[in-house]
Amino acid sequence: MSKEKIPVVNLPQHNSPQKKEVISQESVQHYDPEPPASTSRRKFIKNVSGMSAASLLGTAALMTNSDDVNANTEWAEHFQGNYRLMTDAEKQETVERLERRYSREYEKDVTVATTDAEDGVLFGYALNIQKCIGCRRCAKACVEENNQSRGDEQEIEWIRVLKMEKGEFTPERMNDGYPGDFGIQVGGNAYHAAGVVLEGEHYYEPEEVPEADSFYMPIACMQCEKPPCVKVCPVRTTYREEDGPVVIDYNWCIGCRMCIGACPYWARRFNWGEPNLPKEDMNPDTHYLGNRPRMKGVVEKCTFCIQRTRQGRYPACVEVCPVGARKFGNLLDPKSEVRKILASKRVFRLKAEMNTYPKFFYYVD
Amino acid sequence: MDFKREDIMNRVEIRAIATMLFLAGMSGAYGEEEVVCYESRKDASKVVQKEVEPGLPNVVCSPVTGAVLWWGDPYDGTEAMGEMPIEADYSTAEALVKPREEQLTLIQICGVACHNGVFPPVPKDKNPRKLTMHQDIVPDSMDLQHGRGAIWCLDCHHTTTRNKLVDNFGKEISFNQPQKLCGKCHGPVYRDWREGIHGKRIGEWATDGTKRWFVCTECHNPHDVQHGARNSGFAAIPPEAAPKLPKGMENADHERHHGSASGSAAGDGDAHE
Repeated sequence: MSKEKIPVVNLPQHNSPQKKEVISQESVQHYDPEPPASTSRRKFIKNVSGMSAASLLGTAALMTNSDDVNANTEWAEHFQGNYRLMTDAEKQETVERLERRYSREYEKDVTVATTDAEDGVLFGYALNIQKCIGCRRCAKACVEENNQSRGDEQEIEWIRVLKMEKGEFTPERMNDGYPGDFGIQVGGNAYHAAGVVLEGEHYYEPEEVPEADSFYMPIACMQCEKPPCVKVCPVRTTYREEDGPVVIDYNWCIGCRMCIGACPYWARRFNWGEPNLPKEDMNPDTHYLGNRPRMKGVVEKCTFCIQRTRQGRYPACVEVCPVGARKFGNLLDPKSEVRKILASKRVFRLKAEMNTYPKFFYYVD
Repeated sequence: MDFKREDIMNRVEIRAIATMLFLAGMSGAYGEEEVVCYESRKDASKVVQKEVEPGLPNVVCSPVTGAVLWWGDPYDGTEAMGEMPIEADYSTAEALVKPREEQLTLIQICGVACHNGVFPPVPKDKNPRKLTMHQDIVPDSMDLQHGRGAIWCLDCHHTTTRNKLVDNFGKEISFNQPQKLCGKCHGPVYRDWREGIHGKRIGEWATDGTKRWFVCTECHNPHDVQHGARNSGFAAIPPEAAPKLPKGMENADHERHHGSASGSAAGDGDAHE
């Protein structure tokens, strides 16, 4: 078929009307005279299965010019490069394509930023574990900001708030497990989901928090300097940005979930199903590496709200914390709030012995 | 027949009532369809939901607790904080506060309506006396949980100008700047607050960024900072909803009651069914 007419993979450049005309006529006539240009993607895949790669691209080009929002972009997205290897022009093109799709899908003006790291900035986070009352507002604010899937079918939250037991270990309680009431829960098989295997409890629901004899430990991505998740990624789609956050190019994620296994902080989440993001709740200010809508089969995690922090704004969880336990700033600025905490408070990092060098610090007054 | 007529009458009545209710609902919807949320402390920092730009709400509130979860505009309704008595890492243009006096409904009238500086008589000495008024306005005023008996009303409230607070020299402090009052005793906390490592700020993270500072009374109730046996400065609040259980799990401690693959097989009945 028309091989010479489709020389490159960059699909949205096919703007010349004649070319479009030729391709669409050929494809439609040859394979399916009945449906016009707005055929569903599934049908096309079916039709196209026997074709050569070049004609596949021809069909893709046709789809790019059709009215079917999802078909357009999903085709083009399959052929886009790894974000880190893209030129500025390619990034621009990719982002514009995504903005078009999201804007139509969510019926609002969606922007997808590609703001780069600023020189002289390294993001750091500090959390006062003594102050946290376990109200979970951070986890919910994060969902408001970062367009996670919500609802009964698939709920994703990047922040877990663990309820921990105050008190001490005693000989009598050595075999009770920890935390006492729930025991060490392990296991799970084909018939049963694995239980809570973490120290601490996620699902507490008292009338009011904090409860007596409990303290709370929120955990999310620690934005490690030496991230185990990055080491294991077979397609190098997750990597560490220069200002600290470990990010994911969702389009290159193959969903192998190696990173989930490698992360010592249980920070990564997987979209097992199609994410459910209601139009009216969708946050239209997005970043390519941050809170743009995800698809089924990709991993996601906290990015220190890259779409906000690269524009100068505090992360959503910092702003929402009613007790001011969460602090954020530039680790390279000696006058920043985090640096003052590192200088004057008692600080620890979670699992520091793993040499991951987290940029997330816990402290007490 | 009578019965039927009665029935019809009833229906007419019901319809009339329904119409009235509907109209009431409509007028309510048009009059005040406002969503009132609270920021940090319940009943202390109310904020009414509105649009700051088309499609951008000033706040997004939790459907579970009514707490603000997200700020569309962190500087909405703020003003410059003004000078602090001791220098800190900030400039007045960067530091904003939300005026507290707007939240205190009686503050506008209490200075003119009753306390005019002469009447009621100004206390001659600072010996605490039993409070006879204001239990209605300040429900916890009779049981002051602050200072463990070492302070009383007029250590914080101005003796003659009741819509002001008072500093160590008897000068007035605005209710918008309670930190000047609280800092009199709570030195280390005040210092941390000035440095930005105590309390809450929203806005820009940069050291010279524009920030809204939350002042003391937005988070702490000055009449009850101890909260009884809890002895905590922050009141207990209802938490947001728990995360959903992983698919296939019936409850968080299911395995404790029914055993698990690696645990005791005694209660593990489900697997065999």
